[in-house]
Amino acid sequence: MEKNQYKLCLEVLRRFNKAGILDGMILIGSWLLYFYKDYFKKTPYIDIATLRTRDIDFLVPLSIKIKKTIDVPELLKDLGFVTDFKGSKGYIKLDHPDLILEFLVPEKGRGSDEPYKLPQLGMNAVSLRFLSFLIDNVIRVKVEDFYINVPHPANFALHKLIIFQRRAREYKALKDKSTAIEILKALSNKGEGRIIKKTLDSISEKWRKKIIKGLEGEEEIKLLLDS
Amino acid sequence: MGVIKGVLKEELENSLRMKREYEKALKELLKGCLAQKEIRGHKYYYLVKRVGKKVKYVYKGKLSKEEINKHNEAKVLRAKYRKLLSRVKKQIRFLRGAIRGKESI
Repeated sequence: MEKNQYKLCLEVLRRFNKAGILDGMILIGSWLLYFYKDYFKKTPYIDIATLRTRDIDFLVPLSIKIKKTIDVPELLKDLGFVTDFKGSKGYIKLDHPDLILEFLVPEKGRGSDEPYKLPQLGMNAVSLRFLSFLIDNVIRVKVEDFYINVPHPANFALHKLIIFQRRAREYKALKDKSTAIEILKALSNKGEGRIIKKTLDSISEKWRKKIIKGLEGEEEIKLLLDS
Repeated sequence: MGVIKGVLKEELENSLRMKREYEKALKELLKGCLAQKEIRGHKYYYLVKRVGKKVKYVYKGKLSKEEINKHNEAKVLRAKYRKLLSRVKKQIRFLRGAIRGKESI
């Protein structure tokens, strides 16, 4: 299963790269942890300890510029992906027994529960709050002969610490929190405690308080405060 | 609910949704498969399909390249979807079994 999943994930990335749309997107979700392995090459890292679901999410910045229109469902059709229109609003998900592909955009202003249209990709996207924080610091990771954009691990971990407190499902909250802690530990082990602090300092007081509150009572809070 | 069970439950919901989607996608594909006969240098096509227990050959005559490609594509997709549907069904059986216990893990 794992091998099939990885092969399919790579094929999706390869096709996005060939179609010229990969550069404009940021890979997020639990699959991201797999691609952090190179970043944490010389540090004990958590990917094997992470429970990974089939979801693979692509964050599309609102400023994205794609020259050519690409029909993503058509691009992946021969791999066996089928299109699912989720809920009454019709959010598009591309389903395959090994991967579930979804597009996300940062929510702007008061937000809306309508899907955000991405006609240049033949898709629509879910708008979610706090995603802009993941766009603020993006790193590039080499996969085969091309690069993918991923959020800096510090941004990813701190983002998880914000959203786990908003999760309706308890198991998701627990998963988010433990992922965040493991990434913070890995960053600290890599000697990047200062980056955690710098990232924490770069965000608004309101969000910062929320993040610190998320680790209250945990030993790991020192990863945020003592770095 | 524990993290592992929670994730498995979510994956079961996903697999059940996929099962419905693959069944729907299979229904929407062009039915049957093209059979070609060559008579005096001309190619004629028959659509071979199942009607109940019988296999019927429906005469289609000469077909455009586009139409032939459509049928061929449907044939490839049908095989792919059937294979994936069978995998989804296996996943459902596995996931149902895995979350049956009462322990919170």
